[in-house]
Amino acid sequence: MNIFKGNLLRALLAMLFLVSASAHAHKPSDSYLRLHVDGNRVSGQWDIALRDLDLALGLDRNSDNAIDWGEVRTRRDEINRYALDRLDVSSAGVRCALTVGDHLVDHHTDGAYAVLMLDGHCQASISNLDVSYSLLFDLDAQHRGLLRLERGAESTAVATAIFPKERATQRFDLNGASRWASLRGFISDGVRHIAIGYDHILFLIALLLPAVLRRRDRRWVAVDSFRPAFWNVAAMVTAFTIAHSITLSLATLGVVNLPSRWVEAAIALSVLLTALDNVVAFLPRRRWLVAFAFGLLHGFGFASVLRDLALPRTELALSLFGFNVGVEIGQLILVVVLIPIAFLLRERRLYSRYLLNGGSIVIALFATAWLIERSFDLKFMPL
Amino acid sequence: MRFHPHCRIRLLTGLVLILGSAGQLALASSYRPASDSEILEHLPNRPFGPSPAQDRALRELVATRPDQLDLALHLARIEVERARVSSDPRSLGQAQALLSPWWDEVRPPVPVLLLRATIRQRSHEFAPARSDLLQAVEREPDNVQAWLILANIEQVTGQLDAAAESCAHLQEITTPLIALSCTAALDGIRGRAGEAHEDLDSALRRSSERDQGDLRNWMLTLQAELAERLGRLDNAERMYRQSLSADPDDTYTIAAYSDFLLDAARPKEVVELIAADTPVDTLLLRRAQAAHQLRSADATSIIADLEARFAASRERGDRVHLREEARYRLELANDPAGALELAQANWRVQKEPLDARILLECAIAAGEPKAATDVIEWIRSTHLESPAIAKLVIKAERG
Repeated sequence: MNIFKGNLLRALLAMLFLVSASAHAHKPSDSYLRLHVDGNRVSGQWDIALRDLDLALGLDRNSDNAIDWGEVRTRRDEINRYALDRLDVSSAGVRCALTVGDHLVDHHTDGAYAVLMLDGHCQASISNLDVSYSLLFDLDAQHRGLLRLERGAESTAVATAIFPKERATQRFDLNGASRWASLRGFISDGVRHIAIGYDHILFLIALLLPAVLRRRDRRWVAVDSFRPAFWNVAAMVTAFTIAHSITLSLATLGVVNLPSRWVEAAIALSVLLTALDNVVAFLPRRRWLVAFAFGLLHGFGFASVLRDLALPRTELALSLFGFNVGVEIGQLILVVVLIPIAFLLRERRLYSRYLLNGGSIVIALFATAWLIERSFDLKFMPL
Repeated sequence: MRFHPHCRIRLLTGLVLILGSAGQLALASSYRPASDSEILEHLPNRPFGPSPAQDRALRELVATRPDQLDLALHLARIEVERARVSSDPRSLGQAQALLSPWWDEVRPPVPVLLLRATIRQRSHEFAPARSDLLQAVEREPDNVQAWLILANIEQVTGQLDAAAESCAHLQEITTPLIALSCTAALDGIRGRAGEAHEDLDSALRRSSERDQGDLRNWMLTLQAELAERLGRLDNAERMYRQSLSADPDDTYTIAAYSDFLLDAARPKEVVELIAADTPVDTLLLRRAQAAHQLRSADATSIIADLEARFAASRERGDRVHLREEARYRLELANDPAGALELAQANWRVQKEPLDARILLECAIAAGEPKAATDVIEWIRSTHLESPAIAKLVIKAERG
């Protein structure tokens, strides 16, 4: 049954291939090498063009100017020896033993490739990998090896590299350093996004401004001590964080997908409503509920940024985590700057009248402009 | 975070590309062929030169006896010629490999210099190619081929005064027809297209079809291009067709004639001229534009194929097809900003009429007419004649 299935699939694929008649491009010669490192194990696959193998080994035994599977399959050992003699992978100065398992076939833009499935191990856990590549350089001086190096169970991308004749030996660092570096990169992306995401900043300000006050008979009065203010802020920030983490993850993992223009418009609406609520109360009294509900929306907004960064799928978990941490750090900076000032000014009339009401109205105006801009796909705001 | 109007178009093209390449992606997974007789790959035809088996034997001889200069030159010339006829760059890499014992020398034998310059020129490494040729003509001032390639490189890179000097040297050492092929090409972009056209006309009338076949075809194509730039479209078309009937496989002429047809809004004839599975990227671009103009069913798959080829080229770090990629981004991928970047990078390397035109078109489409300042100045200083380019200049200057 399984075999039948496999054959059927292959027949379908073969038909598709014929139908699309995908043209074979003329292209300089490249091989595609993927190496995967895990502990002391190195595995991967190496795609070498049949045309190039023919140039080196004369695969076309029956001289019909075509290469059939038999002409590849029966030369397997020779192909393996030829290829492995021209790839040297070593760690800490000791060469890693590589073997070729299976042979498969694949297609790239310029035709059919033999796929050599690689497996091997180095003496100890690999921290630096030296790759020496010399396939075909003696026959085609413009040949290049295109390496993609991955590590760990999640196949995290470590590096991509081009091996031309002039740079046939290269070293790759597999230490946590590279992983930590990319995590740091994602965190700073998150912080930067908050810093330039004026809609998120204004939303947070609108949300936080009343945290040092409480409502009594439709009027704002100052809280008595720092403690209730602190808990107000903590509840809102936590609710907002949990909410946007949920939607950011769902959207990034592709579980939920919303059109970004409507998400952007809805975010503008959330800013508008939050700001207006400061002037005339109409949203739920428990502000953390508001923070949670609107946080769900903002998470979708963050996700579209993360998507625009065009991350490799392999780094998704890391990037999601890092970006989220970055967004949190950005938020906390805002809280730390805003809340103490607000707390100190809370009893002055200036605060409730000008800062809270006036500020909220200004924020509402901005939000209205964004809402119009994003709903009708216009562009007139400088921010 | 904000939503740009362009994004929607880009999203759509992205989607189309993804859908178009979905078929290929499905195929991109490796498989084990069902039977030994399954044909996996067709090798390129070899209309001339030694057979593959002889080739291998000869290469081994060159590899073991690096002093076999004559044999290496002979084989390398065959590969360079194969690359010219088929537009397959693999042959260039093989020619370079054959010359590897001499390749890195500062003063290799002159024939090696000429081949090295040719290979470098085809890879768009114009500066090192030119210095190879300057060395060659210094050592052999009567080397016609060296002066010809030198003049061509200088013309392509916009060093027109140097090109004129190189052409002038040819007058003294070669036949009038060859010398004319040099000066006419140059005059054609220096405001003397009319004179160049007349000179070619009388020279072609005198020469017979039998002598100098390749040169004659090349001059026919050149004359067609001149006529086109002078606005004499009927005459241009006749010349293109004449050149193609003599050599129907000449990539350069097919591309030039296709551009002529695309400008005349005659995409159907481009479809007849270029197969949808042409291996030559420059031709596939024209074929894709024609399919796009016709809104034909295969447009999506051809465009996806073209995109895959540009992606493969980027992956290996090549910058040879900047002009074509700029045109692709502008006309078929709706990305004028990305196209402009490529067209500017291309203009730093190449300065032919097509390069000027694509840069002007991109600058206008991207709403950045200032990006065209340099190219407009260059057109003014060279007095390049071309109604199409003149129109673009006016448009760019209006902002």
